[in-house]
Amino acid sequence: MTPADLAALAPLIVLGLAIVVSMLLAPRADAVLVRFVAALGPFAAMGIAVMRLGAPSLPVPALLVDDGFARLGVALVAATGLACLIFLRPAQPAREGPPLMVLATLGGAVLAMAQHAATVFLGLEIITLSLLAMTVLPRSNASLEAAYKLLILGAIGAAALLLGFALAYAQTGDLSLGAWSGSGSGMLVRLGAALLLAGIAFKFSLVPFHMWTPDLFSGAPPAVAAFAGVASKVAVAVVLIRLAATPMPEPVWSTGLAAIGMASILLGNIQALRQPSLVRMLGYSAVAHSGYVAVILASGAPLGAEAALFYLASYAPGLIAAFCVAAGIGGTPMLDDLRGLIWRSPIAGAALALALLSLAGLPASVGFLGKFYLFTALIEAQAWALLAVAAVGSALGLYFYMVFMVTLFRRDDTPRPIPQFQTADTILLLAASGMIAALGVNPNPLVNLVRLALP
Amino acid sequence: MTLGAIILLPFFGGLVALFANLIWPRTDRWVALVSLVLGMLALIFVTAEGVLTGGSAAGIEGEAGRWLALHRSDWAPSLGVQILLAMDGFSGVLLFLSLGLGILTVILSWNETEKSALLMAALCWTVATSNGVFLAFDLLVFAFFWELMMVPAFLMIAIWGHGTREATAIKFLIFNTIAGLGLLAAVFYLGSTGENGVTFDAFVIAGRDISPYVQTWLLAGFALAFMVKLPVPPFHAWLPDAHTQAPTVGSILLAGLLLKTGAYGLFRFPAMLFPDGFAVLAPYGLILGSFGTIYGALVACGQTDAKRLVAYTSVAHMSVVLMGICGGVHFSMMGAGIVMVAHAFSASALFLLIGAIYDRVGTRDIRELGGLQRNAPRFAATFALFFSATLAMPGTANFLGEALVITGMFQVNWVYASITLISLVISVVYATRLFQRVVFGASRKAEVKQDLTWRELGPILVLGAGTLFFGLLPQGLMVALDPAVNAAVDGIRAVQK
Repeated sequence: MTPADLAALAPLIVLGLAIVVSMLLAPRADAVLVRFVAALGPFAAMGIAVMRLGAPSLPVPALLVDDGFARLGVALVAATGLACLIFLRPAQPAREGPPLMVLATLGGAVLAMAQHAATVFLGLEIITLSLLAMTVLPRSNASLEAAYKLLILGAIGAAALLLGFALAYAQTGDLSLGAWSGSGSGMLVRLGAALLLAGIAFKFSLVPFHMWTPDLFSGAPPAVAAFAGVASKVAVAVVLIRLAATPMPEPVWSTGLAAIGMASILLGNIQALRQPSLVRMLGYSAVAHSGYVAVILASGAPLGAEAALFYLASYAPGLIAAFCVAAGIGGTPMLDDLRGLIWRSPIAGAALALALLSLAGLPASVGFLGKFYLFTALIEAQAWALLAVAAVGSALGLYFYMVFMVTLFRRDDTPRPIPQFQTADTILLLAASGMIAALGVNPNPLVNLVRLALP
Repeated sequence: MTLGAIILLPFFGGLVALFANLIWPRTDRWVALVSLVLGMLALIFVTAEGVLTGGSAAGIEGEAGRWLALHRSDWAPSLGVQILLAMDGFSGVLLFLSLGLGILTVILSWNETEKSALLMAALCWTVATSNGVFLAFDLLVFAFFWELMMVPAFLMIAIWGHGTREATAIKFLIFNTIAGLGLLAAVFYLGSTGENGVTFDAFVIAGRDISPYVQTWLLAGFALAFMVKLPVPPFHAWLPDAHTQAPTVGSILLAGLLLKTGAYGLFRFPAMLFPDGFAVLAPYGLILGSFGTIYGALVACGQTDAKRLVAYTSVAHMSVVLMGICGGVHFSMMGAGIVMVAHAFSASALFLLIGAIYDRVGTRDIRELGGLQRNAPRFAATFALFFSATLAMPGTANFLGEALVITGMFQVNWVYASITLISLVISVVYATRLFQRVVFGASRKAEVKQDLTWRELGPILVLGAGTLFFGLLPQGLMVALDPAVNAAVDGIRAVQK
């Protein structure tokens, strides 16, 4: 192993170290210390990935690659992991939480660097299994239900993915992601591509494979849901971008992705319309946001990779802030629990209001820039049908975000518990709100960061 | 940079006002007032400088003398977005209106106790974002302010409104944001299809050769956003509710400012960017406008809630503005500009008066009101003034504007001219009904005992003076509007030949 390889693998190594050390500390040491040690891993991984963003890309034979997409993916996954560690509320005896969250981050990092069927599968399964463990930790009925759905549906997804790779292997004798190109258009390969798409759609929570998402969002601890909503999607999006770069069997791939993307946008937004529960609403809205990313990638726009990555990066602070507020309120907060939140707890209320603005894509929030990228990519590709669906989707989306928004400001006379936030949570909320507003007004830093990653 | 100050001073004023009470109680209103007054001073400074130096035409070719001030700097160079602000007489007039109404609403809500800091912030931000709309010539920045403008108005309705305020606020936001999607899509298309990289510079885009077919679609996107904001039937469904449920200051800013941004957009951009598309769609605009003016006036006649009545008169008057703009001749466009200003004065004043009555007796039902002339002579006198303004009595600015639009309509097609005339007749019906019910007759159920206070009378008198001044001495206003009108008319005429 050369020093160059070592540098390329450094994010994975520091994540692994953090997992091992925090796991060893977990039984005896103070819970805060465990969390702190665990947090060092994603922090260092993020730092390394960001510093190496502009460096020339490097294949790490034969399973991984260290290029711009990988580094940006690792940075976003690690940043999300770090943020989620902060508001991960351990159900009582659980000190296992922080190491598991870092393990999930490691899975995301592997996935972002994967260029081989084996690493794709490995990364996906590391994420799924560690999410699963974190989901059952509260040991409530809701969390058990969510975990079962994730386990069973996830297994079906994994099976589809493996079968897809296997069919392609039967044709080409190669398991790297590049193998699809030049694999011809035989029946086997087309079936394989369809199965691969289905497997990825499970992880990306696209319709009709999205059923686990709202349940996970309401049953799992909010930090776990936020990780599943942002980090695993970033990692899967990197895989999708890599696959799009190798000509996939057409028209199966693009048409299929566009079709399930459009279905996700419409169904996700429609099902979110009448959700009284904040986290379930976020679950269906996550399905819709996955759909937006999917249509960007399906459109084949030259801007596609940049737009998809920017979109996910702009989606992250809003979702994380919303889940952090949900964690502070506790349970599954319903509309009624949020009544007049902004007067009871101004920081949490304002952070949630900003997060909703950003998710709805209104200006002066980073979500507006995400919408800008979405529309511009679809216009560039002249994909008018996709554009129309995206516009309908964001119009529908406005309604349910604004219902929650207006509830925050409602006058309310019933005494309700004031949400409890630790100092770290408050700092996270302020940081996320600051990012939403600052990047909404001056998007240059994020745009430049994303562009550094482009080949 | 002074142009930027016109937007930034109210914006930061609002931000500081939001937190001012934490440091020193009851300072929020002072912060808001001072920031708006400073914004007004900046505007006066820019205008004076522009008038005295003959304007700054730097950077915009072939339009020497039209622009009073211009500012260009980078915003997000990575996305091709720049801060391009330009002010001509037309935007100048609207900016004066916006800051003036902002100051007026701050004074009106001086004694507001409920969440006053946020109210002051919302007032300042409404002004700041509308100023952004009136100044931005980078289309993405224009769209940015256009959408952002909805948020403080949404808060005003949702928090300080009456009745079903939350549902109304959501309806307001959804109507306008969905319509805004048309604008956004068109702007993104324009930005990303240039030959020399991404740019949203309206002056560059205006020089582009876009096929008439594409222009028509893009204009449809723009016009959707503008016509919902205007609003013209059938896109007006959000307005009566929003006006009725909004607090008085909210109604004033909605009628005086937000509706004007729609008219501003229609006035400015179709002729500038899409002259071919304008030629295709203008006839439909005329039809919609003439339907709207009759419809608004007729529905106003049937209202019993005074605020709702005034809301429907807004529909009627703004439809006249749409007709004036779509007429595309000098007379009608000048008339449209003047109706915009006049309507801002008269509708704001009527909302203020009705709000003051509501504060006293808790009802706006014109069947229950009455006898103002006996108990409250100041109410009665000012009501009389704005009653004559809303039915376009000669001597008021409203008359001048509508007369010019009708004159222009005769150049276009006598049918539209006669429709506008008919709507003027109907306006006499609803205005007289309102006036007679509220001011004359015996006091019915709700008796107004207390006359207008000086804090209410001051703003009313300012609005009244404006109505009469521009009605009797319109020359200054017309000179200010003239360059923008000429530019628009030239743009349209170039296509027709």
